[in-house]
Amino acid sequence: MLLERESWVGELTGLDVDPPRRRLHRASFELVPATDHGRIVDTITKFDPHVVVHIAVWEPFSRATPDTARRLTDDAATSILGAAAECRALESVIVRSGTEIYGRARGAPTRPDEDAELNPTSDYGRMLLGIEQTAAALGRRIGVSVGAIRMGTVLGPHVPSPLGRVLRMPAVPFSVLADPPFAVVEDIEVARAFVAAADRRLDQPVNVVANGAITALQAARRGRRIPIPLVGPDWAIARVISGLFGAPIPEHVVEAFHRGRLADNSRMTELLGFHPSATTSDVIDKLYEWPTVIRVPARRAVA
Amino acid sequence: MSDTTYEARVITLPVERATTAARQTAASAAARQVGAVGAWSTDDWGRDPRLVEATIRLGRLRWNTLIAGTERLPARAGALIVVNARRFALSPIFTALALTGATGRAVRFVGRPDVAPVGAFVRRLGGLLERTDEVAGALRAGEVVVMGAHPEVHPRRVGRVDHRLIGAAVATRTSVFPAATASSPWGRSARVEIGAVARPTRRRRGPLIELELADLVEQRIQRLLDQLGGAQTGTPLDWLPLSGMGGD
Repeated sequence: MLLERESWVGELTGLDVDPPRRRLHRASFELVPATDHGRIVDTITKFDPHVVVHIAVWEPFSRATPDTARRLTDDAATSILGAAAECRALESVIVRSGTEIYGRARGAPTRPDEDAELNPTSDYGRMLLGIEQTAAALGRRIGVSVGAIRMGTVLGPHVPSPLGRVLRMPAVPFSVLADPPFAVVEDIEVARAFVAAADRRLDQPVNVVANGAITALQAARRGRRIPIPLVGPDWAIARVISGLFGAPIPEHVVEAFHRGRLADNSRMTELLGFHPSATTSDVIDKLYEWPTVIRVPARRAVA
Repeated sequence: MSDTTYEARVITLPVERATTAARQTAASAAARQVGAVGAWSTDDWGRDPRLVEATIRLGRLRWNTLIAGTERLPARAGALIVVNARRFALSPIFTALALTGATGRAVRFVGRPDVAPVGAFVRRLGGLLERTDEVAGALRAGEVVVMGAHPEVHPRRVGRVDHRLIGAAVATRTSVFPAATASSPWGRSARVEIGAVARPTRRRRGPLIELELADLVEQRIQRLLDQLGGAQTGTPLDWLPLSGMGGD
């Protein structure tokens, strides 16, 4: 919807495995499964875009199990980026990445900037590294700019986030020995980042996270949840219990709870032309305010 | 049938209005106080301002620190302060907390371990990892960072200054300040003396500037330590940190 409002955007088409939640005015839409390579390639090559924004990344336990998420992400990346490479008009590719790509190995920088070494220590981080490497190889091969939006954990009223689900549980686990800080970002800011990156033909990675940080204990306190202190093996039990209650905790979220996840967002203004207005604490406060189910009333009664 | 309680419900007397207003003001003031306690958060590097504040208050019970030269520090821009370090004296932490209390700015320090729970606690106090990119990131963001020279046993000697960390200041065009610290494990007195900004004497194009600036900072700290005063006997007694040299 943000791209529809941009004056520089001529024609716009989108591919997704789910239909759009809102009415699109200018954009066309194709409902395509991630595994249907043929249709994806046909649609993209026929459209022959100037800019491809690739956001088809499945975060483990957001909408799919880790294995399925890895397979779907790999399928989508191969077919979308592969099809993009066949387009003559292509000038720029923007891919979705995440701060998980830096990894949280012992001694890793607390707040890595875009030049920091990429050493993912979770399955999701390795998935993101694979996408960035594929896109970079494509850019070098056909000579187009490739930008990556390395976003923090995205929270929003519609976003299926494993971290958001865990924090909204009545009881929130936290590492009693470390309780490290992490940063999140609101979905609307990420959307703005993608639009700005496409507009500016971004040709390098940029970290997109809200300012400030929060720990799991602090988040639980803000949301008036019961904090559950955990040490070592307790986490395995907590993951099982949380999964049973509908909020499975993937590896990269456990890593964030143990080792933290921050990123230096100081280049956002220079590269994207804006800075997030909401801080991490604001986004966490909103997380607890968002209703579980958003009911949209009908515009007019039909019966 | 007439409503006998109508007037009581509708008419609000001035006294009652004042009482209600006072009650609301008191309630909102209480909510602000309580809300602040419940709204803990950390900053971009994981520093917890409330924990730092509490630690400073505790530190004041133990040490009486005399701080001089804070007017030399920039009001808003970043700065790298290099202090002499005595073994086990935790000089960078002590200096960062003392400067936070004196200037009101969030002062960070270099040299936290990356192992829980000590590393996690030290990060809450403003600790950064001893990495060039970590220090450069903080300086680029306009933070004040304290780093220690290599620890020495003698309280009046300064160890080597890590030129790689000085390189972070050079790369981010941040001012480097030498500072001398003195504290006593037995007394209450402690002292932090910040010297004038150290500028390289020659313009260099390569990494030599880091080495020369590190040497210059080391010399300046030694000079500041020599100027701190206190009795010097020339005997092994000088090796004992008996006095904070200047504190009460």
